[in-house]
Amino acid sequence: MTTDPKNTRHHPLLFPFTAIVGQEEMKKALLLCAVNPGLSGLLIRGHKGTAKSTAVRSLINLLPEINVVSECVFGCNPAVLHELCDDCQARLRGDSPTAPDGKLESIRRRVRVVDLPLNSTEDRVVGSINFEYAVRSGKKRFQPGILAEANRGIIYIDEVNLLDDYLVDIILDTAATGVNIVEREGISYSHPARFILIATMNPEEGELRPQLLDRFGLSVNIKGIPSPRDRVEIIKRRESYESAPVPFIKQWEKEEQKLAEKIVRTQKILDRVEISPELLVEISRIASENWVAGHRADIVMERTARTIAAFDERTSVSLEDIREAAEFALPHRARQPLDSQDRSGMTGRESQGEELPSDRPGVNKPVNGGDSDIGTGNKRFPSSPIQGGEGQPGSESVAYRVSGPGDKDQPGAKGKEMAQGVIFEIRNNVSIGTRDIKFERDCRVRGRSGRRSQTETRLKSGRYVRSTAVRRNDDLAFDATLRAAAPHQRHRRTEGLAVAIDSEDIREKIRERRAGNLLVFVVDGSGSMGTRLMSGTKGTIMSLLLEAYQKRDKVSMVTFKGKGAEVLLPPTNSIELAKRLLEDMPTGGKTPLCHGLIAGYELIAQHLRKEPNTLPLMIIVTDGRANVGLHREGVYEGGLFGKIYEEIYRFAEIIRSEKRIKTMVIDTEEKKLGSFGRAQTLSETLNAKYYLLQDLIESSQP
Amino acid sequence: MRKRTLNFPFTAIVGQEKMKLGLILNAINPRLSGILIRGEKGTAKSIAVRALAALLPEIEVVEDCPFSCDPRTPGKMCPRCTELYHKNPGTGEIPAAKRRTKVVDLPINATEDRVVGTLDIEHAIKKGEKRFEPGVLAEANRGILYVDEVNLLDDHIVDILLDSAAMGVNTVEREGVSYSHPAEFILVGTMNPEEGELRPQLLDRFGLCIKIEGIKDIDQRAEVVRRWGDYEQDPEGFVEQWKDAEDKLAAGIVAARELLPEVTIPESILLKISELAVEIGVDGHRSDLTMMKAARTIAAFRQLKEVGLPEVEESAELALLHRVRRRPFEQLALDRTKITEVLTNTPTPKAGQNGAGE
Repeated sequence: MTTDPKNTRHHPLLFPFTAIVGQEEMKKALLLCAVNPGLSGLLIRGHKGTAKSTAVRSLINLLPEINVVSECVFGCNPAVLHELCDDCQARLRGDSPTAPDGKLESIRRRVRVVDLPLNSTEDRVVGSINFEYAVRSGKKRFQPGILAEANRGIIYIDEVNLLDDYLVDIILDTAATGVNIVEREGISYSHPARFILIATMNPEEGELRPQLLDRFGLSVNIKGIPSPRDRVEIIKRRESYESAPVPFIKQWEKEEQKLAEKIVRTQKILDRVEISPELLVEISRIASENWVAGHRADIVMERTARTIAAFDERTSVSLEDIREAAEFALPHRARQPLDSQDRSGMTGRESQGEELPSDRPGVNKPVNGGDSDIGTGNKRFPSSPIQGGEGQPGSESVAYRVSGPGDKDQPGAKGKEMAQGVIFEIRNNVSIGTRDIKFERDCRVRGRSGRRSQTETRLKSGRYVRSTAVRRNDDLAFDATLRAAAPHQRHRRTEGLAVAIDSEDIREKIRERRAGNLLVFVVDGSGSMGTRLMSGTKGTIMSLLLEAYQKRDKVSMVTFKGKGAEVLLPPTNSIELAKRLLEDMPTGGKTPLCHGLIAGYELIAQHLRKEPNTLPLMIIVTDGRANVGLHREGVYEGGLFGKIYEEIYRFAEIIRSEKRIKTMVIDTEEKKLGSFGRAQTLSETLNAKYYLLQDLIESSQP
Repeated sequence: MRKRTLNFPFTAIVGQEKMKLGLILNAINPRLSGILIRGEKGTAKSIAVRALAALLPEIEVVEDCPFSCDPRTPGKMCPRCTELYHKNPGTGEIPAAKRRTKVVDLPINATEDRVVGTLDIEHAIKKGEKRFEPGVLAEANRGILYVDEVNLLDDHIVDILLDSAAMGVNTVEREGVSYSHPAEFILVGTMNPEEGELRPQLLDRFGLCIKIEGIKDIDQRAEVVRRWGDYEQDPEGFVEQWKDAEDKLAAGIVAARELLPEVTIPESILLKISELAVEIGVDGHRSDLTMMKAARTIAAFRQLKEVGLPEVEESAELALLHRVRRRPFEQLALDRTKITEVLTNTPTPKAGQNGAGE
């Protein structure tokens, strides 16, 4: 089959693409990418164990062949002169020993899929100095990295949401310009780096940044297949593949061959596919209806629709193609809250197991038939505002749906716990950010993770991403040090070794840690939190959670009610968890505020012991009033009542004295004549950032 | 205190039958991809895993290969062995050796470069050449990778494990080295859930999962103390005393391995497995596959040639516990009555529909 060693070395016996059961949408998207590199990438989001990685890897065997300049490490296209790398241009001029006659010899090879593993370091991604050559000759020469290898191919990142931000940025920059510019380790070099980015991720492990999302032309959300019969088929195929891969692959060879040929055919048609002006307008209409930011979506939709038409072996784009394209191009761009985006993606696709195989692959549906379901029948993508369901981007605010037709355990979950507490719906339009919270310690000193503060850590732990010549902590980066020393070896006395290292060569590691800051919510769950305020509170916390979600912060939640405080959620990266928890958080009972503060403080202290680099932020949601004390089982009567506040403020000072902990108070008291302003006092004692919930709610209402 | 070479015998562990079964199943069928043992401190978790090493069958490896490549599967070899194989293809002329399956420890303080492998510094300085120095993942290829307290593992190390566990290949692109080698291992982890949960993605990578508790029965507890005392006092004697039982179990494992390829599973039972996965509510398809494999392995262990419902029921407990969708702070728990219900129900046409609901 393939003759390219780069493609065979990792995955010699791949599960055949055509043997994957169901998941038609994902398969289609992958094929579209194989056909048209102009689609700029695909993101596959889905739960664990849904054949994401299997599908991407198996695509390797279907990829078409391309012409490349022989001996060119970047795989330059001999037909496109302005995209040639420096070496090939030298060959063209006749300056190169490999092509003395100024002709570019070319060979054919398959499009490559290059893995970018999570353990990658910068030098391997962008390329670095050729160490061996430098030691031998004392000269500097560029050693190509992954970006070079992937030119005109595909970069595959498994679990992309876990990749370091720094590397993500490099890849994005390169993807945007198509050129990899290297200025490091005394090397100054640039080469073409045009590639398709295909990535998979499990949203349970955290989301991607919006900028990164936007870079992916297409995205699909996938799920397990619900039909037991299909599941049995999956088991059977997988089992027969695992127990005897070679015969199994043989069995599917024909199918694979057919599909590979189809891709080649599609590529030939692609250039001839036309799209009518009316349909172009339709594309823009769909884009604007879905509140898409920027124009990338329009472009991608148009290209995708053309590719879909070509895949059906038609030369003109139909309305149906555009709708299908929208399903791939919009879900990750439409400005919808994360939550409902997820849901719409799910509701749109959950039935695919049974439904898709019949109506999907290339059946040319009559245009008018499609027309009628634009607003009603076509439930796969909410393309029309009339549809109205949850998650409609009618407002730009964070619209978390709490109650809905599908949810059983909602406010109405009157059952047994009714006496204990009431669950309030989450107001959907309160937004607040922690952007203006400044952490006192300078990031340059502490260095820590997440996106809120800086992502480097000075402790000798964390992931080694790149190196620096600045000496700080003797965390020696051997590889970088060797590279730095290499060019000087010819002039140094090496005493029998190949490499002698001077102190000027020493490079240190820059490490990153993925975990972000720690947000600890200390939430009043007592009965005094009125209905209106409680739902407002939940909305506020939700908007903070949303931000934490994007910044990869850890979150934790403490609630106080009745006789004490309870850690509802120990520090976790799973914002999902926090969100679900918040939705179900019951309220009721007395108000042991001080217990809450103590529990929050202890939780932070504990976490700091384990991860001393954390920058914790304690967010206290309260009206400041309390009626349970620390001693005497909490009952302070008569003259002792004031003691409760004494305790609170004394403890607030303790928290304040711990300089590492930042605090924020969200005052839930309704401000009117004769309000107590206790939360304000607490906030001042803590030296906290103070917000009035009422203001937050009002300012976010039109 | 005790000699390193003399592990406490597996068969001498009192009680904890489910944990023992889970480990034995993995010894029989490496494709079960591991087991997670959840339980409080001092419940013989680690002892059992280490003791398992003595029961593991021998495997054939390419001589001197740091990755323990299988001389017969060219598709799953490291670059050097692939080259060797292609020099004299098919003739099996690669020098091979036999040795026991290894249990490789991944300490929770392991650094990334040690786990995935790194640039061989010594070679670079002496020779001026780059060379890959294999790490823990290389050593664990075709063996057991054992992580004690797996929930305390650093996040970025977990990422790496996920990465290589997914494809059975460790791809290294770091510190100037670009290398890729097979890394198929049985992941065995132990954890005390009180100290934090595992990330869902990692949880799913463990084929099986069991929950163990300290033994409540007074007599059995006394027996634990007595045996441990005997062992500490005279390890050699103790191990000798259990030799027969160990040999018998080892033979049983070998017999089961031989029978395994012949074990069949009727279509109706496969359907039950899928229905079960849907009814119980799991993400993805790994649970179905694992249930099927576990059920077959259990049948093989019992010298049965066909999988029946009892085997499925038992495998469901092992394969579903950690995959059930649950609400935050819900304990990992499995609805046993539901399992029995699904399994004993005669198939109804609406079964598939029911499942799609959630």
